[in-house]
Amino acid sequence: MKSPGKVAAFAVAALAGVGLLTGCSSGSSDANGKVAITVASLIPGSSPDAFKAFNQHIKDFEKANPDILVKPVEYQWTGPTFSAQLAAGTLPDVFNVPFTDSKSLANAGQLADITSNVKQLSYYDKFNKSLLQVAENDKGDIFGIPYGPYAYGLSYNRALFTKAGLDPNKPPTTWDEVRADAKTISDKLGIAGFMEFTSGNTGGWGLTEMTYARGGRMETTSGSKTTVTADNPQTVDALKFLQQMRWTDNSLGSNFLLDWSGMNQYFGSGQTAMFPSGSDVLTSLVQQDGVKASDYGLALIPTSGANSGVLSGGNVAVVSVGASAAEKAASVKWIDSYYMQKLLDKSAAVTDAKSLVANKQPVGVPQLPIFDKAQLDTSLGWIDSYINVPKSNVAPFQDGIFTQTIIPEPAKHTQELYGALDTVVQAVLTDKNADIPTLLKGVDTQIQALIDADAAKK
Amino acid sequence: MTATTAIPAHRRRKRTPMTWLRGGGLWNLLFLLPMLIVFGVFSWGPIVESVVMSVQKTNFVTTSFVGIDNFVAVFNDPQLATAVTNTAWFALLALIFGYPLPLIVAVLMSEVRRRRGLFSALAYLPVVVPPVVAALLWKRFFDASPHGVFNTIIGWVGIPPQPWIQSASSAMPSIVLEATWAAAGGTIIIYLAALTSVAPELYDAAEVDGAGIWQKIWHVTLPQLRGVLLVTFILQIIGTAQVFLEPFLITGGGPVNSTLTILQLIYRYAFTNSIGGDYGKATALSIMLALVLAAFSFVYFRVTRAWSEN
Amino acid sequence: MTATSTTQSGVLELSAGARVKKPAKPLPEQSDRSIVSHSDWRKKRVFFGLSALHLALLVLLVLWGIGPLLWLLKSAITPTQDTLQAPMELFPHGVAWSNLWSAWFTVGIGTQFLNTVWVAIGSWFVQLLVATTAGYVLAVLRPAYAKVFNWLVLATLFVPAVVLLVPLYLTILHPPLIGVSLINTFWAVWLPAGANAFNILLVTRFFSNLPREIFEAARTDGAGPLRLFWSIVLPLSRPILGVVSVFAIINAWKDYLWPMLVLTNPAIQPLSVRLPNIQSMTDLGVFLAALAISMIIPIALFLFFQRMFLRSAGLGGAVKG
Repeated sequence: MKSPGKVAAFAVAALAGVGLLTGCSSGSSDANGKVAITVASLIPGSSPDAFKAFNQHIKDFEKANPDILVKPVEYQWTGPTFSAQLAAGTLPDVFNVPFTDSKSLANAGQLADITSNVKQLSYYDKFNKSLLQVAENDKGDIFGIPYGPYAYGLSYNRALFTKAGLDPNKPPTTWDEVRADAKTISDKLGIAGFMEFTSGNTGGWGLTEMTYARGGRMETTSGSKTTVTADNPQTVDALKFLQQMRWTDNSLGSNFLLDWSGMNQYFGSGQTAMFPSGSDVLTSLVQQDGVKASDYGLALIPTSGANSGVLSGGNVAVVSVGASAAEKAASVKWIDSYYMQKLLDKSAAVTDAKSLVANKQPVGVPQLPIFDKAQLDTSLGWIDSYINVPKSNVAPFQDGIFTQTIIPEPAKHTQELYGALDTVVQAVLTDKNADIPTLLKGVDTQIQALIDADAAKK
Repeated sequence: MTATTAIPAHRRRKRTPMTWLRGGGLWNLLFLLPMLIVFGVFSWGPIVESVVMSVQKTNFVTTSFVGIDNFVAVFNDPQLATAVTNTAWFALLALIFGYPLPLIVAVLMSEVRRRRGLFSALAYLPVVVPPVVAALLWKRFFDASPHGVFNTIIGWVGIPPQPWIQSASSAMPSIVLEATWAAAGGTIIIYLAALTSVAPELYDAAEVDGAGIWQKIWHVTLPQLRGVLLVTFILQIIGTAQVFLEPFLITGGGPVNSTLTILQLIYRYAFTNSIGGDYGKATALSIMLALVLAAFSFVYFRVTRAWSEN
Repeated sequence: MTATSTTQSGVLELSAGARVKKPAKPLPEQSDRSIVSHSDWRKKRVFFGLSALHLALLVLLVLWGIGPLLWLLKSAITPTQDTLQAPMELFPHGVAWSNLWSAWFTVGIGTQFLNTVWVAIGSWFVQLLVATTAGYVLAVLRPAYAKVFNWLVLATLFVPAVVLLVPLYLTILHPPLIGVSLINTFWAVWLPAGANAFNILLVTRFFSNLPREIFEAARTDGAGPLRLFWSIVLPLSRPILGVVSVFAIINAWKDYLWPMLVLTNPAIQPLSVRLPNIQSMTDLGVFLAALAISMIIPIALFLFFQRMFLRSAGLGGAVKG
């Protein structure tokens, strides 16, 4: 018989070894004086080619910065999952949050203050100041760098348009056309002609866009007082529009529990022909859902009425609050290299585009400028020969977006507002007799209470 | 426990550290250590902590005592009523789907004379499918398009496509259907074990009195199963009150919060607000749920105790 | 459960609490009769009626028990569009073996597969360690304070797991003494799994029914507490250790909410956590292949250890508590 002590010791040792396997320990400095940082790479489920392109960027970066080691970690910000990661301290050193949350997180002291690092960047003065503001706390300290701003656009499947006998070069330009096209597609192909987000806070995001497109607002601010105005005529109008498509035309398909990724998959597998989303969504559609850029079209969201415009948002690259000074410096260098240089430096832009093309990733996905439009055009000029997203496919969007009014997302308790609106959108799509004004009033009360509670604390 | 301890001789003497050590006191502690550590850190400690947290508000920078504010906030949350109603609805449906049917199946199976093992294995197979796999698989079955799996099947007999999980009224029954599929096998096996432990002499005696099959079921089998039936009933209540996985994975609580359960609400309080969770509210609701469940557990404990002593 | 329960002569009877007659044999074959008597069976009406019912039951059980699983196996190798458009047809456009390949290599669930095994092994070991050592102290060594701990352990049976969710999570983030967050380590799953009062109850009951004369004899022969534990108590306790092991491994394979909270890094996530995360980012055909792969081991284990599984399941209702 084996000695009990030995068996136990062996078992404990073996388990201890496995138990401490950690994939993503936070960065640290190693003996060689190198700084190791972990960075958010791509979202889970991205294609191996996309990861290859990303890793190539890391290699180049490490070559240029021999004292920094970069470890990629797959990461995706979603409203319902982020706070657990934040509380657990499992976020990488560099990650991203949407415009809606960066200010709150900065004010709560949950991001690293990188003011001095950012101010050292040569192009600091060129930042669009109103854009940079989303990454500052109330005192004006800087906690991140905004990147990849998007405006809402109408993504559509050109192949399905053709199949349904519609002209893919003439996407709908009014809501009535959206409705008519959706019905045609739905009747002919038996799929959803159009679909709107419904869950994971994206339902509220989409409904806010549909409200902006009609000139309404979800929150209004006068002085220091913010009022939630979800129950406004334009939102009611937008929901009635959905209601008719769902219950009169039956052109919205049959899945009313779609979040951001779910929608992309739905579109990618040809189950809906149109959906409104950020103008940058093509990258993910290609990386995860196997969408071919040649089948993809992007149009403007129809706008009408006074004060109408297009919802715009974006991401902020931020640094984990636990980062040391050296890690902060390395992190900002990475943000500069990965998110910024391709917009600012010709050779960086070309290298990036080359690597994307080599790995079958889309180049030329529509975006908004971080600095100004001239800068964006210049940077696009550098990589013109590498652009593989057919320009004509995104022309309906690209040609018109710069004349549109760009409207930022609601400022206070945005994600909670979106979450509450999810329920409203779901109700309209799953209950023929949903009472729209009552539902919206409920949202007003619920979110107003949160805002008032904040005000009471101050 | 009467102190008929392993080493009675030592106990009568005067106790000194030395006698304690010689008497194996150190060994006792050594053997107790794994339990002390694991239970202390991961069970007793957190239980106490949850009580403390339920009367606090914390954002990890500052923590303050707020009395019953968290409980009041939970009570004032309109989602609480929704979650409680939904959970009760789930429990009721689960009883309707998952309680009588397994009993009938078990009674029938207990009469199988050959290859009963095959019957048991078939009934139990869904139970060994990991619940996550089962839930995600059924989510696909519930596809509400006319090309969905279930819609295709019901189409064969001329029933039009149903919305399944895409409607507030049918989402919960659909989820219960999945949960029943995943759990019924376990209940059947429990009933089966109980059925075969009914003393054959009781049936013999009933037959002497001229009882037919139905009378035997009514007068012998069911009374003999009373205990098991009560236990599975309570276990099912305790289990369904804590349902999380199925609605979380299949519908995420939707549509329109029609499948939001209590545990999901706790989870939402604690973990899904993107700018920071409310642990106070989460623990307050946990404690309220726990008190209700503890009452059920207590009844359950008394019942099983009563049997053990029979 | 307490020392007052009488020591029974049948050492291998599971415990005083077990009402299952002969738990060593799992299935009902042992009783020579059930509700329907031999003479009943000889009646034509009963014979044909029951046989027909049994046949119908068998068909239903096949549909219920294997139907969904067969559909999953079929769809795992069906092209996505076919599964979407014609889920009940058999390979209208051929077979897509590549789904399996993609699921394992491209999506990389091989890693999570191994993690699942690790989670199960570690949880099993910790649970067995805690349950046997505690049971040994509480039922065999019986120091004066054993009773207190017995009640402290039993008391946790009344506390549903949900209460612990948040504080346990915070404990994992800031564990006492060691000061390093256990998040994203297997320990975060293994250690809390050990705090299972039900295991301790089962083991303690079983241990207290072991004949004490054997212990005394061993002591007289000079066996210390460690040898007594390892060479006498454990070997005598195989049946109950088997039951605890089955429960431990199944639970580890099934658990979702807890590992989802504490294992956020895909590199150490078990399948149950990874699958929901990738469902809307993975091609449907590949995803169904991943689901199919995930259920293979538990089903294989079940088919191999059928009797043990079914016996544990039967006990689940009879002895729990």
